[in-house]
Amino acid sequence: MADIAIDNPGGVVLLMGNEAIARGAIEAGIGVAAAYPGSPTSEIIPTIAAVAGKRKIHVEWSSNEKVATEVAAAASLAGIRSFAVMKQNGLNVASDFIVNLNMTGIGSAGMVIFVADDPGGMTSSNEQDSREVAKWFDNPLLEAQNAQEAKEMVTWGFELSEKVNLPVFLRGVTRLCYTRGNVALGKLPSGGEKKAFFPEIWDMYNPAKSRFTAGPSQVAHKNLHEKLKKARALFEDSPFNSYAGPENPELLIISSGVCTSYSLEAIEELDVADRVGALKLGTVWPMPEKLIEKRLLSTQKVLFVEETDPFIERSVMEFAAGRLPEMGGLAFYGKRSGHLAPFNEQSADLVIAALADILNIPLAPRDPGYRKKAEEAMALVPARPINMCAGCPHRATFWAVKNAIARDGRNGFVCGDIGCYSMAFAAPGFYQARTMHAMGSGIGMANGFGSLGDYGFDQPVLAVSGDSTFYHAALPALVNGIYNQSNFTLLILDNSATAMTGFQPHPGTGMLATGAPAPIVDMEGLCRSLGAEVRVCDPFDLEETTDAILAMMQKKSGARVIIMRHICQLLKAKRKIPGECKMRVDDEKCLGDSCGCDQLCTRIFGCPGLMWDGAAKKAVIDEAICVGCGLCADICPAGAIIREEARP
Amino acid sequence: MSGTKRGSRNLLEDVLKAGLCTGCGACVTGCPYMAIHEGRIVVLDRCTIEDGDCWRHCPRTPTDVSGFSEKTQGVPFDFLEPGAIIAVEMVRSVDAAVREKGQDGGVVTALLAFALDEGMIDSVVCSKKDAGGAPHGFVARTARELLECAGSSYEAAFTLEAFRKIPAGNADRLAVVGVGCQMEALAKMKAAAPVNGGNPQNVQLTVGLFCGWALRSDIFRPLLEEICDTSRIVKFDIPHSPGTSFDVYTKDAGKISIPLDDIRPAINPACQYCWDMTAEFADISAGSAGSSFHGWNTVITRTPRGAGLMKRAVAAGIIEIQPLPESRMTKLKASALNRKKNALRNLARKSGTREDLGYISGLPAGLVDALLKD
Ligand SMILES: Cc1cc2nc3c(=O)[nH]c(=O)nc-3n(C[C@H](O)[C@H](O)[C@H](O)COP(=O)(O)OP(=O)(O)OC[C@H]3O[C@@H](n4cnc5c(N)ncnc54)[C@H](O)[C@@H]3O)c2cc1C
Ligand code: SF4
Ligand code: SF4
Ligand code: SF4
Repeated sequence: MADIAIDNPGGVVLLMGNEAIARGAIEAGIGVAAAYPGSPTSEIIPTIAAVAGKRKIHVEWSSNEKVATEVAAAASLAGIRSFAVMKQNGLNVASDFIVNLNMTGIGSAGMVIFVADDPGGMTSSNEQDSREVAKWFDNPLLEAQNAQEAKEMVTWGFELSEKVNLPVFLRGVTRLCYTRGNVALGKLPSGGEKKAFFPEIWDMYNPAKSRFTAGPSQVAHKNLHEKLKKARALFEDSPFNSYAGPENPELLIISSGVCTSYSLEAIEELDVADRVGALKLGTVWPMPEKLIEKRLLSTQKVLFVEETDPFIERSVMEFAAGRLPEMGGLAFYGKRSGHLAPFNEQSADLVIAALADILNIPLAPRDPGYRKKAEEAMALVPARPINMCAGCPHRATFWAVKNAIARDGRNGFVCGDIGCYSMAFAAPGFYQARTMHAMGSGIGMANGFGSLGDYGFDQPVLAVSGDSTFYHAALPALVNGIYNQSNFTLLILDNSATAMTGFQPHPGTGMLATGAPAPIVDMEGLCRSLGAEVRVCDPFDLEETTDAILAMMQKKSGARVIIMRHICQLLKAKRKIPGECKMRVDDEKCLGDSCGCDQLCTRIFGCPGLMWDGAAKKAVIDEAICVGCGLCADICPAGAIIREEARP
Repeated sequence: MSGTKRGSRNLLEDVLKAGLCTGCGACVTGCPYMAIHEGRIVVLDRCTIEDGDCWRHCPRTPTDVSGFSEKTQGVPFDFLEPGAIIAVEMVRSVDAAVREKGQDGGVVTALLAFALDEGMIDSVVCSKKDAGGAPHGFVARTARELLECAGSSYEAAFTLEAFRKIPAGNADRLAVVGVGCQMEALAKMKAAAPVNGGNPQNVQLTVGLFCGWALRSDIFRPLLEEICDTSRIVKFDIPHSPGTSFDVYTKDAGKISIPLDDIRPAINPACQYCWDMTAEFADISAGSAGSSFHGWNTVITRTPRGAGLMKRAVAAGIIEIQPLPESRMTKLKASALNRKKNALRNLARKSGTREDLGYISGLPAGLVDALLKD
């Protein structure tokens, strides 16, 4: 997609879900877009940023999702449509603000929050159903089936937001964000100059006019419920909800989002279109009760198909429970009945199995040879365990951490965090991270461990934080640790980018979301000014780094920070910075799997730039993958890995 | 005869965690899975080798001591004697400067410098003190370097680390200096050479040091740092009389005497299981125990190779010799045997039975019973 802001109403283009969502926001005439990077949403901001200048949109990577939502809300209050984007974990960070924004309401311009869940936790530390917050916060929520609908829902979401004076949630999932589909473009707004103005200024003669002093929160909460009623009424005949199938089906499937596609596929596959009806719910909360009631009364059995939690399932059952005389005979199937699971991703296959079971349709067993063939085919695919990239500075850091902890010998450990370096819980980081939860939790947990001295706790505690994570959520915990005199060492893994989610700039990089230059928020100076003892190491200097970690972890008190500074290898490749050396393994010297090495480089160190030649029983450099960082030459016990002349 | 085949995992369980590591340094170098840190062996990663040099060469893995002696020194092993003996004499360096720098009579330094000079060897694996007085394995190539290494450090020195660092294929003819456990490790290496580095076949001469115990650096160093500026230390000594003090000589404060009892907590607990006071697997062993005079060494010449060197050194006027009085000789033998009894007793206590003497094997059951009778 060359230009997401192409002005061609009715034209059809192939767009990734995330691009379609960005396009929807642009068609809605947003003036502000803010987000913190997180898969599967990370492409939305860059897509908008690419046309930010042309469309006069303020686009930013905020330091975290709460700030992003606040930035967006302020725009709405000043009359500018705004868009906030986050993944499920980010919603948790932003939620404290949103539950208060709901009470005050937004401004005159609409505000949409796109939240993408990651069923199966493919790129996340957790699995969570964000739709639950709609009920919890009393907030309207839409869920899109495909790229086209996602674009339309974003645009309509702004209208809805303005009608009910609330931020509107759009829920997506990984499959939606990353699946490409044909999208028919809508009209682009004319881009008339709009002046931002915050009207809620204090009127000393008319205090009642100022909403922000209007009343206590129970009044605000009552208003919120009124707004929800309004939304429910609008949802009753929304085109985002639709029904297909016989008027009185034997079984009704109620589905939302990508699960609608799986349901339709299952109906077709089992050839039961004459027996099964499909109700697609696009306006998930507040539930359009009249529509639901009508469909429930037309059938005997209901199967719910949705990603992660039985959200619609529970809402519908709750509703039916209030209509027991008429609905008492209904049988409900889904996650409660065990036909589908409230975890992991759904799929057409899973829906087919559930549907077949309920309708007593014998599923034709697969050709018995199929399984064998599948297994044979699988064997051809080389196993690809998760790994850090060739030449990744995190590998160097955790090598040094591992050796420092072993040398120290007091059962020290690392509190891990979220980023590429999360892999430190496994082989790529030598199993060094022993806890891993949310953004910034590594240092928060380290604060806690480091405060247990009175209980005889004497293990050295290390916390890691990526550079981006540092600004996101680690900073308050560092402040806390200094203030409460906890005993730990923080390692900031400064690779100059938010690498895991695709190299978005952050406050330390000197660059904005648009690529324009920005002031650098200097983490080293920041930590020093807070009162921490700060050292900066290049993790590729393994010896010095190991010594620095050891020295820091052996101090008995005081906040200690080591900044591990080395540019992300992929970023280096992106910027076309050449590798330092050409590498070669000297066959004569390589000890291979014999005593004195036991395949240290391929078995433990694990850089993908090295391969084990099973026939020769020697290590070899995989020239296609090795980036020439030269680190492995320093860990080879035999001096068999040779750095040759610098690459041209 | 070198017992079972095992790897570093077993070394970790059966030697390191079992508190048997003497700090000889045989296992670490040439192995990326282990390192020396502040007087301890630390295990860095999981090695999967099941027949490893670390296990094979460690003096605290099962060793058939009698089989060993015959193989490495060509003499039958008599557990009741302090090793093979050609002569036991009082010896000192003729050069006063060497005596001054040396621990006792400077014989070790003088003999090795002479062996270098006459071309018997090209270099010496010994131990050198760093700026803070802590010992490290070192390869000395000249008499001057040797003199810099003179004087004992009472910490376990991991000297054999330096030996194992010598790359495979290096042709230097070597002498190795060390205490009993180091001589045992070296003998094990001679019996089955390491796969990479060390080259035990090039060892032309071994000089053993008598040893009562060694200290653990991680405990001893902080203790030392409390009483003096460690960078100003010139010498340590444990004088025979009164036998209750540990003396530290510094450039500024002269002699600082510490009660030996204050030092004892830093003694490596593994030393209680050591049977070898006089470094029985060496060509020549030197100490001060037994010697009648201050500034003289007691030297046991054990092998023809050792005897040849002694003879040439006397002829060249490098060392001077006096006979060791019979009474002293009896005492020396008694304390060496006593050491063996203690080791057996402690090993039997550790395992709970005389049948299992840990790393020591090959002793006739009757002998063990007789020694542990009282
Ligand atoms: C740990 C230890 C304990 C000892 N305990 C006793 C004892 O109980 N009774 C006794 O009679 N003698 C003991 N000795 C031996 C004694 O201290 C002298 O080393 C010996 O008498 C030789 O004296 P010299 O003057 O010829 O030595 P020098 O000419 O000074 O030469 C000493 C040599 O020993 C090497 N060396 C120094 N420290 C160490 C070390 N820690 N490990 C290995 N090599 C080292 C040096 O590199 C040097 O080459 C012990 C020695 C050590 C190292
Ligand atoms: S670490 Fe060195 S010696 Fe060992 S397998 Fe790799 S290249 Fe060979
Ligand atoms: S030089 Fe070694 S560590 Fe660096 S990328 Fe190549 S193989 Fe990997
Ligand atoms: S005694 Fe020597 S070989 Fe054995 S574990 Fe200790 S240092 Fe290693």
